[in-house]
Amino acid sequence: MDIKLPQLAEGVESGTVVNILVSEGQEIKKDQAFMELETQKAVGSIPSPSTGTVSKVHVKEGMEVIVGQVLISIDTGAASKTSTSESTSSAANTVNLLKPLKSQQTAVDGAPTERHAENFHYESGSGVAPPAPPSVRKIALQLGIDLTRVRGSEAGGRIRLPDIRAYIQHLQEMAFQELGRSARPAGPVAAPAAPKETIDFSQWGPIRREKLSPLRRTVSRRMVESWTTIPKINQFDEADISALLVLRKRHTAAYEKKGTRLTLTAFILLVLARALRKHPSANASLDEAGGELILKDYCHIGVAVDTDAGLIVPILRDVDKKSLLQLSRELQDLTDKTRQRKIGIEELQGGTFTISNQGSIGGSHFTPIIYAPQVAILGVGQGQSKAVVVDGKLAIRTMLPLCLAYDHRVLDGANAVRFLRDMIAGLQSFDEADVKIK
Amino acid sequence: MEPITTEILVLGAGPGGYTAAFYGADNGKQVTLVEQNPRLGGICLNVGCIPSKALLHATEILREAKESAGRGIEFGAAKVNLDQLRDWKDSILEKLGQGIKGLAQKRGVQVIHGRGHFEDSQTLRVETSEGQKFIRYEKAIIAVGSKPAMPSAFDLGNKRIMTSTEALEIQDIPQDLLVVGGGYIGMELGTVYAALGSNVVVLEALSSILAGIDSDLVRPVSRIAQKVFKEIRVNTKVLKMATAAKQIKVTTQVDKEQREELYDRVLVSVGRAPNYNDLGLDNTQVTKNDKGFIQCNPQQQTDDPNIYAIGDANGGTLLAHRASKEAKIAVESILGEASAFESIVIPAVVYTNPEVAWCGLTEIEAKEKGIEVKVSKFPWGASGRALTLDRPDGLTKLLIEPETERILGVGIVGAGAGELISEGVLAVEMGATARDIADSVHPHPTLSETLMEAAEAFYGTATHSISRR
Repeated sequence: MDIKLPQLAEGVESGTVVNILVSEGQEIKKDQAFMELETQKAVGSIPSPSTGTVSKVHVKEGMEVIVGQVLISIDTGAASKTSTSESTSSAANTVNLLKPLKSQQTAVDGAPTERHAENFHYESGSGVAPPAPPSVRKIALQLGIDLTRVRGSEAGGRIRLPDIRAYIQHLQEMAFQELGRSARPAGPVAAPAAPKETIDFSQWGPIRREKLSPLRRTVSRRMVESWTTIPKINQFDEADISALLVLRKRHTAAYEKKGTRLTLTAFILLVLARALRKHPSANASLDEAGGELILKDYCHIGVAVDTDAGLIVPILRDVDKKSLLQLSRELQDLTDKTRQRKIGIEELQGGTFTISNQGSIGGSHFTPIIYAPQVAILGVGQGQSKAVVVDGKLAIRTMLPLCLAYDHRVLDGANAVRFLRDMIAGLQSFDEADVKIK
Repeated sequence: MEPITTEILVLGAGPGGYTAAFYGADNGKQVTLVEQNPRLGGICLNVGCIPSKALLHATEILREAKESAGRGIEFGAAKVNLDQLRDWKDSILEKLGQGIKGLAQKRGVQVIHGRGHFEDSQTLRVETSEGQKFIRYEKAIIAVGSKPAMPSAFDLGNKRIMTSTEALEIQDIPQDLLVVGGGYIGMELGTVYAALGSNVVVLEALSSILAGIDSDLVRPVSRIAQKVFKEIRVNTKVLKMATAAKQIKVTTQVDKEQREELYDRVLVSVGRAPNYNDLGLDNTQVTKNDKGFIQCNPQQQTDDPNIYAIGDANGGTLLAHRASKEAKIAVESILGEASAFESIVIPAVVYTNPEVAWCGLTEIEAKEKGIEVKVSKFPWGASGRALTLDRPDGLTKLLIEPETERILGVGIVGAGAGELISEGVLAVEMGATARDIADSVHPHPTLSETLMEAAEAFYGTATHSISRR
C-alpha cells in the first residue's frame, strides 16, 4: 500500500519533510507517526493509516512534497487489508501516480491558473535538475528563477522560453493578488514594489546565508500584511495581580496533584474569555468587501508559543466554556505539543483573539502585532513589584503590564478602554470559587 | 619600479587561461596573461592532448597497415624515422602556439613570460628574463594547471623513468616498456609505443584498466589491448624501482607474490597533481579543499574575493574543455553577469583503441547514487558503417530516465567515439528525450546512426537490431 500525503488543511498543498521516523523494513502500527512535515503553517506529524511493514521510503529529509505524493509504501500482509487506502503496491502504479503530480495545478483563491501552479515543483527520480536547454538555463539564472518551479511544456517536461514567460506572468499575477487582497478597498492597487537592489554584504566581511524555513516565511508575510493593512492603536495599562498571586499560591499544590501547573496565563485566559463575551466586537473579523462585521459566538484564543523553530500560535478552543483546571491542562498540553513540534495544522486555525505573554521571559510593556483577520491582541509582560497608591497610601503591589493592540476600524478607543478595564477588574478581583477544583 | 596595472590578470596560458584572457578582452576588459613557458597553450598544447593525439594518429597508420593485409592490401615493412616524427609533432605544437600568440596580440592581451608569485590579494610578482615585474590587478584568474604525479619512491632521477611529458618526446623506442597505471594516459601512450614496436607491459593497481569507466565501454579496449600489449596485469602494485645499468629493475607484487623484472624504460602514469606550489597563495585568502585543490564556489571564485581559479588546479576531472568552460564562467562572474558551473555536461574522451567517450550520467554513477535508469544499447556489429570500416567492436548506449524518457547520459566505445559524443552532449544539455533522437534523421551510412538506433531500441523499434521491449 502506498501512503500518500493527505490534504492537511485548506490552502496547504505542500510541505518540507523535516524528519522521517521510520526506516525500510520497520514495522509500523496504525496511527503511528512516520514522518514530520513542515508546512507554511506548522510542523505536523503524518500518521500511518494502517498497520504493516515499511517496504519503501520514497522521500528524503529536506525534500518538498505535495498533496497526493507517495511518501512511503507499507506491506500490510494479506490479513490486514484496509479499505481506507488504495493498495497500489506495484511499481508500475507508482510511476503512473507520479506522472499527474508533475503537472499538478492548484488554484489559489480562485486565481486564474493557466499553466502554472504556485506549488508546482519538479521532482525527478534521478535527482537531476529539470530539463532545459543551456540558453533557457542561462536566462533563468540571470532572472534569478528557480527552474524547479517552472513547469516545462515539452516532452519529458523540458522547459522552453515561453514556459519561463508564463511563469513570470504567473508570479506577477500572484503579486498583484496579494497586493489587491491587502489593500482593498483602500484605493487603487498600488504598483508592485520595485525589487530591492541586492547588496553584497560580503564586501565588508564574511557572511553566512541561512534559508528561511517555511514557518519563518509565513510569519514574515503575515506580519507585513498586518502591519501594512491594519490601522492599529496600542492601549497600555497595568493590573494589580497581588491578590491573584496569593490565590495562585494557595491552590498550586491542588493543581499539581491533578498533574498540571497553575499558570498566570490560565488565569488571564479565563478572564479574557469573559471580557470577550461581554465585548463581542473584540471577538470579530472585518469583511470589508462585504461591508460586514463577522461576530463569532465561539471563543478560540491563540496563545503565542516560543519554540526553537520560531513563534507558533496554537489555538485553545471554547475558552469561555472551560474551568481553570481544564484551561491549565489544555494549555500545558498545547504548549508541550507545540514545543515538540507535534502540533497539527488544524490546531493552528480558527483563532478569534490572541494572547502573547512574555512574562516568563521577562518583558515589560510591548506593542504586539495583530494576527489578521483577528481584530485585537493582548500583550502581557512580567508582573513587577511597584510602589503604588492604594486607598491614599503607598503600597508595594505586583503590577502586570498589559497592552491591548486593536484594529481601529472595528474598535474605537472607548470600546477598547472598557474592554481592557474589564480585563483588569477580572484579574484584580478574581473569584476564589473559580480557582477551586470542583 | 612602477607596477603594471591591469583589470584582469590570468596566470597560466593553457586552454583555461587563454580562453579566460581572450573572453575577458572580447568583453572589453584590459587583460594581462602570464605564462612561464615560452610557448603558450599550456599542458594541453605542449605536453598533453595535442602531442599525444599527433603521435596516436601517426602510429595508428602502422596498425591499420598491418590489418589491411586481411582485406587484401599489403604494405611492406614500415620504416620509422623518429626524428622526423618528433619534428612533425613539434611543428604542430609550434603552429598552434603561434596561433594563440597571434590571437592574443590581435585582442590586445598583454603577454608576460615568467613565473608568477602572489605578493598579496592584488599584486603578482613575475620573475621574467628581464628581472622582476609587479602586476597590480583588480581580479586574477589562476589557471596554472597540473603536472604528472611522480611518487617519490620512483623518482630516482633516472631519465629512463618517464612521466607523460618525457614519453611524448620519444627519445627512443625501448624494447621493453613498463607502464605503471592503466588509466587513460598510460593506455594512450602505451598504444603509441606498442605500435612503434616496444613490448609494453601495463600494471594497474585496481582490478581493471580505465577504472571508473562503465565496464561495457572498457571491454572492447581491453580486448585489443590484450593483443597489442605484451601483458596487462591488474591488482598489481609496484613496490620498488632501482637503476640496473642501462635498465630499471622493477619489483612488483600481485597478491603476495613478488616479482623482479628489468625494463628499458618505465612510464609512470598514476595521476596528476595541481601546479600551485610556490605561487604565494599564502599571501592571499585562497584556501584549499580537503583534497588539496583550490577551493572555489560555482562562480569559480576562491575564498579570496579578488581571485578566481579554473581548470586542473581546482581538481575534479582534469580536462581542457572543462577548464575552458570554467574560464568563461569566471570571466562572466567578474563582469557581474549571473553565471555558475551548475548542471553543465562535461564530456570525456579516452583516445584508446577503440576510443571511449561519454557524457552526463554513467552507469557506475547511476548505481552509486541509486538513480533508476533504462539503458538502451546498440552494438556496432549491426552498423553497416562500422563493418565497412572493419570496426564492429563498438557500442553506443543511452541512459534514459524511465518516466520522462529524458536522456541523462550517453556512452560510446568504438572508432571515432570522441567525435560522436558531441551529439550526446547536445542531447543531454538540451534535455532531449529518446524520442527526439529517434525521430531525428541520421545520415546513412554513418556511425552517428548508432545513436538513433540506440534511441529507437528504447522503444523496441531499432531497425537493425532486435531488442526486447
